[in-house]
Amino acid sequence: MRKSRILLAAVAAALVVTGPTGHAANHREAPITALDHKADITDFFAFVSYGGGGAGTHVTFILCVDPFQEPANGPNWSPFDPDILYEIKIDNNNDAVEDIVFQFRFATEQRLPNLFQVYAGAGNGFAAPANSPAPVPPGTPIVPPQMVDFNSPGMGQRQSYSVTMVKDGFALPVSGPGPFYAVPSNVGPRTMNYQALFNQATYTVGSGIKLFAGTVDDPFWIDLGAAFDTLNLRSTVAPGALSAVQDAANQNVASDTVSGFAVNAIAIEVPIAMITRTGAIEPASSPAATIGAWGTTSRPRTTVRRAPLPAASSGSYSQIQRMGNPLINELLVGTGFKDRFSMDQPKNDSQFASFFLDPSLARVVNALTAGAVAIPAVPRLDLLPVVTYRPPIAASGTPPGPVADLLRLNTGVAPTPAASASRLGLLGGDPAGFPNGRRVFDDVTDLALRLVVGGVLAAPFPGFDPSIGGRLGDGVNVNDAPYRTAFPYLADCPSGRDRRHLDPGEPGCTAGAGAPCPIF
Amino acid sequence: MSNLLTRLEHRRAWWMAMMVCVIATSAAAQTRQTPAEQRMAWAQKAIDANPKLVQPHNDLALALSRRARETGDPSYYDRSERELATVLALEPSNLDAKKLHVWNLLGKHEFGKAREAATALNKQVPDDVLIYGFVADANAELGNYDEAEIAVQWMLDMRAANLAGHTRAAYLRELFGDVDGALELFTGAFKRMAITEVEDRAWILSQMGHLYLSIGKEDNAEAVLKQALMEFPRYHYALYNLAKVRIAQKRYQEAVGFLRDLCAALPHAENVYALAEALELAGSPEAENTFAEFERKALAESASADNANRELIAYYADHAKNPREALRIAEIERGRRHDVFTRNAYAWALHLNGRHREALDEVNAALAVGIQNAEMLYHAGVIAQSLDDASAARDHFERSLSVTPRSPIADAVRERLGKLKTDARP
Repeated sequence: MRKSRILLAAVAAALVVTGPTGHAANHREAPITALDHKADITDFFAFVSYGGGGAGTHVTFILCVDPFQEPANGPNWSPFDPDILYEIKIDNNNDAVEDIVFQFRFATEQRLPNLFQVYAGAGNGFAAPANSPAPVPPGTPIVPPQMVDFNSPGMGQRQSYSVTMVKDGFALPVSGPGPFYAVPSNVGPRTMNYQALFNQATYTVGSGIKLFAGTVDDPFWIDLGAAFDTLNLRSTVAPGALSAVQDAANQNVASDTVSGFAVNAIAIEVPIAMITRTGAIEPASSPAATIGAWGTTSRPRTTVRRAPLPAASSGSYSQIQRMGNPLINELLVGTGFKDRFSMDQPKNDSQFASFFLDPSLARVVNALTAGAVAIPAVPRLDLLPVVTYRPPIAASGTPPGPVADLLRLNTGVAPTPAASASRLGLLGGDPAGFPNGRRVFDDVTDLALRLVVGGVLAAPFPGFDPSIGGRLGDGVNVNDAPYRTAFPYLADCPSGRDRRHLDPGEPGCTAGAGAPCPIF
Repeated sequence: MSNLLTRLEHRRAWWMAMMVCVIATSAAAQTRQTPAEQRMAWAQKAIDANPKLVQPHNDLALALSRRARETGDPSYYDRSERELATVLALEPSNLDAKKLHVWNLLGKHEFGKAREAATALNKQVPDDVLIYGFVADANAELGNYDEAEIAVQWMLDMRAANLAGHTRAAYLRELFGDVDGALELFTGAFKRMAITEVEDRAWILSQMGHLYLSIGKEDNAEAVLKQALMEFPRYHYALYNLAKVRIAQKRYQEAVGFLRDLCAALPHAENVYALAEALELAGSPEAENTFAEFERKALAESASADNANRELIAYYADHAKNPREALRIAEIERGRRHDVFTRNAYAWALHLNGRHREALDEVNAALAVGIQNAEMLYHAGVIAQSLDDASAARDHFERSLSVTPRSPIADAVRERLGKLKTDARP
């Protein structure tokens, strides 16, 4: 051994502990995000607005982070992380590189540093009673009134945020008449009027933009335990397949594992004309109508080179997570690639193409069902519309661009009214649903399963059985809490005092075990 | 009451005695076995119990590779490789074995092969942070600094506080001329390193000692190097650097003492060269024979990957006054790698052979990386003088002195700088 200063130090322990990582749970798809919940993207939605004044003329983007928030988990609950840069990125010229970015940065105030929890309130407030021991005289305010707005004295922890739109290299602040506040977790009915806070936190600003941020019901729903118990789904017709009746119903036959849990959500509604490359609302047949969108979380990074030395790797943030299509990283990307996928850029996704076009999940389903669920030959060109710009999402003649995990949305497709929309989106005959964008009520678990095993997005292949492969599902068809029908579309955060997490065998709603779940 | 107190006193004494025993036992255990030796013993026991199990062979291989670094004895790498062969026979796709093989290649200075193997593994498992480290190590040693920086940045981005990433980033910062930044990262890494990992701690401290010395802070260097020797007695990296501190302090006899200890344990060619230089500075008649011993050893291994060719170039250039041989060796080494240290040695050999313009290009390429190295700057100054560029020469000499004001090089720099100033007077 020479005295060469080769860097073999401080690695031995790492060599021991660094090995193939275990399969991560949903909402924590990559090891790096399993270690960083605050930056973990749980879901990303993009759809042509179907309610309110923006229906048909605006697009709503929703980025959800920080999974499995327990609404009762005081005394600090789960605010947004001021150290994280949250971004929604849009590609409008088919090259998988962002052309427009909306950036969100949060700031936290601690307004009641001497209180034992960050939110407090009850009725009109409670004062020290007559027998209050000295030195606190009777009548001294002790418990603040119920929180009804962002200036309520009981709001000990208040989060505000800024929004920046980056386009053509220019950063433009999106500002309103006052600060933008984020809705806190729903502590309970005595402490706060959550609905009032929610409504106040829905902002309409200039240029037709609407904003919302806050803690809400996790809009996702899934039988997570069954899914990750090596697809041990509870469907009874065939392994993992629903009956026609079950498939058509807006009811659950299995329990929603994320019921009663919350996430932090950022929502923005923008005019379609603001995000297409032509600056206009394009018809669905136009190659300029389809955009690709994805969300990212990033943290300040330690760089090899310190300022003011120029860094070879540009940017002062390191991307922790990204999400375009749902369940790509969870269900398709190999465990030895998940971090790299999370941290890389969509334009480099050709390195993961083998996972997209020969998904191991399809082979797993094929094996677990002893061949009952047939799968197509590889490469799975039927999946190309999900990872490139192609029909039936994009119009014919749209440049396909590179293989990239973007949520593609044809902004020219008119929205389907909520009442007649299908949870199965495009596969259910509803052209405004996933994989043409993603709405909050699109059942992406069932859709992803069916897409992955094939036969649904392209012409059926030999051996395809629509009553099995075309009806795969986890038995959770709807969310446990009703969505709003207009921006920001999200459901209320469950009350910390009264929240309920459904257990296996409780397929109904948190509002009433066994009862149907209202969608809206 | 007095009885109770007595009993309590007895009890306290008993506990104190027990604590002393525990501490003494622990200390004895530490002096008996290093972390690597301990792991070797554990792994061997597991292998004896079940020779067909893969993991214990991997554990033993890792412990042997760690032992190689603890001792500086490369034969441990060969033993490690034999264990890896067993692992791969039992389980051909074993990732840990493949990773450790790359580590061993690096330890044996097979940088080209290491780079190839590490890059392939990185493609196979892009989430493995340590493999990026191997990619970085190999590229840094070969002089591919952009590739090394990209790999280390991935390490920092993937796991912001990982020690392996920070130590590598520290090395790159040093190469890029940011010694303070390197010390910052090493200091943080040391604070977070488990106290049981005494060799890792000593290694970090040795690197810090080297860095402090490189910027002329001999007192700081001495303090951390002594601490390294407390962490891991007779640690070869610490002994080597402490000898360099003593040379900077002109305490040559003490430097000779440290290097004699080092050579007694590790009579490698480069250690013998360091001893010969110290003996020469100390005015010892042993110097000549020691240089001769070095030359024999270095020539014998010159064609292998693990060699002392840089020292051999310096020997022929500065001591044996044989510039042609210096250039011959330098050309061989330069064909293998283009890191800043090899470029510097090659530039010096070119200069001594009268090829000043090529020498200038080489040393400038090394300095362009950003490194602030007193010897390199001295060489650049001398080469500039040879090309009659007094202004550049003066600049290089002044920078050399500002980096390290006290060293044998510094004396030569002052002499040249003084002459330059004298010549410049009307």
